[in-house]
Amino acid sequence: MSPRPPTLRENRRYILVRVEPAGTVVDQKELYYAIADAVTSLWGDAAGGVIMQAVVAAEEEYVMIRCLRGTERELAIALSTVTSWRDTRLALRILAASGTIESLRERIRKQKEQAPGDPSPEPEGRLSDKREVLVTHCNGQKVDVIEKGFKNAHRLFVTRSDLENS
Amino acid sequence: MKITDAAVYPYPCGDTTVRRFALEAKALGFDSIVAMDTPAGSFDGVEVFSGIVIQDALVKDVINRLKRVRDTGTVVSVCARDNGFNRAVIGLKGIHVLRAIHAADKTAFDHVTAKMAADNGVAIDIDLSVLIAGRGAARQRAIHRFRDMLTFERRFEFPVTLSSHARSYLDLRAVREITGLCSLIGIDDTGVEKALGSIGRITAPPEPAVRVVS
Repeated sequence: MSPRPPTLRENRRYILVRVEPAGTVVDQKELYYAIADAVTSLWGDAAGGVIMQAVVAAEEEYVMIRCLRGTERELAIALSTVTSWRDTRLALRILAASGTIESLRERIRKQKEQAPGDPSPEPEGRLSDKREVLVTHCNGQKVDVIEKGFKNAHRLFVTRSDLENS
Repeated sequence: MKITDAAVYPYPCGDTTVRRFALEAKALGFDSIVAMDTPAGSFDGVEVFSGIVIQDALVKDVINRLKRVRDTGTVVSVCARDNGFNRAVIGLKGIHVLRAIHAADKTAFDHVTAKMAADNGVAIDIDLSVLIAGRGAARQRAIHRFRDMLTFERRFEFPVTLSSHARSYLDLRAVREITGLCSLIGIDDTGVEKALGSIGRITAPPEPAVRVVS
């Protein structure tokens, strides 16, 4: 089947989202299923068929999601109801919407340039309740840690001020 | 007017410290948050109100808890139960917010309770976590209850608050996303703005009924 000429193609829009927490490895297919589930659950199959969402690209923590032009609002609301995939908790922060992927790539470049370049904190620290933790990720003031030891290795979200160096 | 998330649960109730909550809330467009069981403060320009939630308690216990936190600036919330309980607690001085209306009895909130809430300046909370994380019948029921409650709000004009009930910063949502979610229950942009500013209004000291001029 030959591709449609541009004038007969449906207009698409692309939404740029950042996946949190930082360091989450994004699997495009799994994320597509999570988004499709959220869209169908919120708007139903009929509206889901009109939105026609698709994950078109994932670059590190940034993901671009395609939809039909005019359905960005519905997709954005559905994206805010995505809370997990494969039992991993996550949040999708909507950064921008555009008609071209290229402009979103430009946006990603700008976001990366704006990222704070503070030095990493000590790899180990202690919380105010004396629990010892290991630093897993750091971005400016924001520090993600896990509790030391093999039990209860839950991720905790703290700031530099919350950490006392051990 | 301060844009406020009316309930977050910082570490140790959740996995995010209050400072981190403040940082993330600022990035998402909030000016203040109500942090449960946490001392009040200000971090990175975000004001943190101290809050408590009283649940599964008799009216007598609610009164005792109120005595302990009176004049401390704490935002006091009570979880809704049956109609009689709700009317009783709304009439108490010092109660700021009535929560979990969506989880209470079908008859827990009626026109009399709505009128009392408006007269006493008690806000009714909309729990956004049900809209965000809920699925299927639970979310449909919550949407119906919130819409029903909002018909009374339009008639009696009692304050409404919006809260994420976040135990992690991943549960927080940006103001723009909250506006989208609230459109599901029939609140427009102006209504969202008003609801996000309600905490500032209900916690402000009451203006004197009589003012001496000259």
